Amino acid sequence: MIEQIVFYLLAAVIVLSALGVVLLRNVMHSALSLGLCLAGVAGIFASLGSDFVFAAQILVYVGGIAVLILFVVLLAGSASDLITRQINSQWLPSLVICAAFIWSYLRITAYFSGIAAKSAPAPTVRAIAGAMLGDYAVPFELISVVLLASMTGAALFARRKEE
Amino acid sequence: MTLSHYLALSGALFTIGLFGVLTRRNIIGILMSIELMLNAANINFVAFNRFLYPGQHLGHLTVIFIITLAAAEVVVGLALVMTIYKNLKSAYVEDYNILKG
Repeated sequence: MIEQIVFYLLAAVIVLSALGVVLLRNVMHSALSLGLCLAGVAGIFASLGSDFVFAAQILVYVGGIAVLILFVVLLAGSASDLITRQINSQWLPSLVICAAFIWSYLRITAYFSGIAAKSAPAPTVRAIAGAMLGDYAVPFELISVVLLASMTGAALFARRKEE
Repeated sequence: MTLSHYLALSGALFTIGLFGVLTRRNIIGILMSIELMLNAANINFVAFNRFLYPGQHLGHLTVIFIITLAAAEVVVGLALVMTIYKNLKSAYVEDYNILKG
């Protein structure tokens, strides 16, 4: 019973704040709404019993990406953004594409209907740590190379040009 | 709660993000909609791991990798946005036509 209440509350928060991200006119409000939506997704991870992913979502998404997007919204905006249209003129074909997607998605996922959880969730941190330093050590090291490359690239783009 | 509930929630989130990518004029809005789509995929990974393969952790590992790649993508994307904004003084994608030559 409490599981249903938590799930539907989190789902309402996620869907409403995602609609806010897409439809709000002020980009600042969209970015704040994105933070709320990411926190709701973190709550879904917690309700699914994956504790490490929940912590990573809070740390990286809510604490890092949402704040970074807020900074860029503050830096790259102008006052006329609040009175110009934020949606382009192709919203009707986009709605058709979205309807086609959701129809095919529901057709595919109907295959998985009625599957309930067989066991209670267990802590996952120890097993994830063992897998990261054991079987999946190579992807784990590769991802750090990707992070280094993206950090270098961002510093390269953001530096001031010297005359 | 069954697997279908989580799959339906993730589909709704992905569709909203897709609509945002197709219709937002602001480049930062498009980046935020891409984040929504990545999060929908993450919900699917964790839900399939929880309901179909309890006791295994490949879904969780994949989500950790996706979160890391999303952080790298958003850092490089926002650095590009700031550079383009410094040159063109506009955050709207229909003004981004300097590659036409």
